Amino acid sequence: MTSRAITETSTVQVPLPARRPLRRAKIWRSLPLYLLLTLGLSFTLLPFLMMILSSFKTNVEVLQVPPTFLPDNPTLENYRKIFNDPSLPLLRFYGNSAFVAFFNVGTTLFTSALIGYLFAKFQFKGKRILFGWFLTTMMIPTQITMIPSYLILTRLKLINSLWGLVIFSAVDAFGIFMLRQFCESLPGELLDAARIDGASEWQIFLRIVLPQLSAPLATLGILGFMGNWNAYLWPMIVLQKIEVRTLPIILTWFNSTHTGQGGLVMAATVLIMLPILLVLVYFQRWIVKGFTMTGFK
Amino acid sequence: MRPSLSFCKNLLAERWRHGMLRIFRKREKRSGGGLAAAKGRFVLSVTIPLLLYESLGIFVLAWAFILMFYNYSSGRLGGPILGLGGSNPFVGIQNFIQMIKGTSVQANLFRTSLKNTLIFAFAVLPLNLVITLPLAYLLESIGERFKVLYRTIYFMPVLTSSVGVALIWMSMYDPQGGWINAIIRFFGGQPVAWLSDPRAGFLGISVAMWAVILAYLWQDYGYNMVIFIAALQAIPQGLKDAALIDGATPWKVFTKITIQLIRPTLLFVCVMTMLSSFQVFDIIQVMTNGDPGNRTQVLMLDIYKNAFRYQRLGWAAAESFVLFLIVMVVTLIQMRLLRTEWEY
Repeated sequence: MTSRAITETSTVQVPLPARRPLRRAKIWRSLPLYLLLTLGLSFTLLPFLMMILSSFKTNVEVLQVPPTFLPDNPTLENYRKIFNDPSLPLLRFYGNSAFVAFFNVGTTLFTSALIGYLFAKFQFKGKRILFGWFLTTMMIPTQITMIPSYLILTRLKLINSLWGLVIFSAVDAFGIFMLRQFCESLPGELLDAARIDGASEWQIFLRIVLPQLSAPLATLGILGFMGNWNAYLWPMIVLQKIEVRTLPIILTWFNSTHTGQGGLVMAATVLIMLPILLVLVYFQRWIVKGFTMTGFK
Repeated sequence: MRPSLSFCKNLLAERWRHGMLRIFRKREKRSGGGLAAAKGRFVLSVTIPLLLYESLGIFVLAWAFILMFYNYSSGRLGGPILGLGGSNPFVGIQNFIQMIKGTSVQANLFRTSLKNTLIFAFAVLPLNLVITLPLAYLLESIGERFKVLYRTIYFMPVLTSSVGVALIWMSMYDPQGGWINAIIRFFGGQPVAWLSDPRAGFLGISVAMWAVILAYLWQDYGYNMVIFIAALQAIPQGLKDAALIDGATPWKVFTKITIQLIRPTLLFVCVMTMLSSFQVFDIIQVMTNGDPGNRTQVLMLDIYKNAFRYQRLGWAAAESFVLFLIVMVVTLIQMRLLRTEWEY
C-alpha cells in the first residue's frame, strides 16, 4: 500500500498534460468496482440482517407471504420466552462452552509451546522419529479417530462429561509445528546466558521462552478458541445429555424442538451466536493473520 | 528468620547439600557437564509424558485400523479384547468389497454419499474461486480505509458458527416466508421447496444440494478471500505499473501477471477448499440431514449416521478410511504440485 502511495505522489509531481483526465477517468472506472463490492457486501450482510429482524417478528409474521422486511409490530416476546424458558438455561450452556474452549486452548497452548521449544532447541535420541510422528498425526483427519475415541470414552465412562471433550485435545500437532518454527528463531545465547546465571530449564521455559512467544501464542489461542467454540460434530457425539451440551448443539436441539416457530429460533440464534461473533470480529485482525500465516482453519 | 536459625541446623544442611552435590557431580561427569544433565532431565520430563500421551494416539489409530475389518457394533458384547470377535466377527476386506459391488441398502447409500460428496466438492471449488479471486482483486485496488471495512464484513460469516449459518439459511430457504422464494416470486417465478423437494433440480443437481452449496459458499468465501488478499499484497506494485505503462490492459495485467505470481497460493487454496468440502458435515447435517431422498447425503454424514445412529461402527470405520484415502491423495497431489511450482 505504501509503495502505491509513493508512486502516486511522485507521478503527480511530474508535469504531464494527460494526467488530469486520466484521474477523472479512474474515478469513473472505479465506480462499478465499488458497486460490485457493495453488491457482494449486501449478499454477505443480508442473512445476518434477516436473522436479527426476524427475531423481532412474531412466529406468524415470519411465515407471511410475501415476507416483510422490517417487523410490522416489533416485539421482544421471543426473547422474553427464551429467558423465561426453564428448559433453556442459557448461562449454563455458555458456561459449558466457555469451560471447554478455555480449558482446551489453555492446555494446547502450553503443550504446544513446551513441545515446540523442545523440538527447536534440544537434541535428543529419537527426535526425528517423534517429530515425523507428529507430522503424520497432523494429516489424519478427525473422522478416522472419532470412532475409536468414542469407544474409549464409553469405556472410561466419560460420555456426557465435559472432560471427555478435553482429554483428546491436550496436544495439538499443528500448534507444535508452528511454535517450533518460532522457537528456532530464538537466540541460543539468550538461553545460555540464563543457564549461566543459574536458571533451571523450567525457569528458562516459563520466564524467557514463553514471553517471547506471546504473539504466536495469541494468534494460536484465538484460532483455537474459535475452533473450540464453534465445534459441532465431536461435542455432539460426546455430549448426549442436554444439560452438559455446548452452545452449537443446544442451538440445533432448540431448532428441532421448536419447528414452525421461526421468530423464536432466530432469537435463540441471535442470543447464542451474536455475542461471540462480535468478540471474534473484534479479534479479526489476529485471526486473519493466523489464517494467512498458517493456511489452516 | 535466617539469623535465628540454629548454627547446627545450618551446618547439617550445608553438609547434606555438599554430599548431594558430590553425588550429582559424579553423575554429571558421566553425562558431560551440569548443564547437559539439566537439559537431559528437562528433555526426559517432557518427552516421557508426551510419549505416554502419543501412545494413546497410536492406540486410537490402531483401533480405527482394526475396526474396519470387523462387523462391529457397539450394541453387541463381542469378544474379550475390545469387544472384537465373537458376536462382532472378523470379516476381512468384506466391508470394502461391499462398498464396491454390494447391493445392500447401506452399500448403495455409501455410493450415493460418495457421489454426492464429489458433486459437492467439485461444485464448491469453481464457484468459490469465481467469487473470491475477483473480489479479492477488486478489494486490493481500493482505498485502505474501505478495504478494512469490506474485508471485515466479508470475513464475518467465517467467524460464525456453522450451525448458526445453517439456521439462518434454513429460514432464508423457507418455502413460505423465506426471502429466496420472495425474490423468485418478485421476478415472476415459481417458488421452490428448496430443502424438501427431491425431484426439482438444476444442471442435474437437486435444488437441496444447490441450497446447501450456496450456504456453504456464503460461510466460506471470506476465508479464501483473505488468503488471496495476502498473496496479492505481496506482488510488487511496480510490476503492474510497468505493464500498464507498456500498454497492457488491466485484464492482461490480471491474467498475465497477477495470476501467474499467485499460482502457488491458488493451488494451495484449491486444495484446502477441496479438502474441507470433502469433509463437509455441520451445515448439511443441520439443514437437511441428508434429505430429501438422500440427495444431500454426503460421506461424513453417512459415516456419522452409521457409527452413532445405526451402531455399524466397523462399516463406518471402513467408510472413513475411504474418505481418508481421498483426502490423502488430494494432499499428496497438492504437495507434488506445490513443489514443482516453487522450483522455477
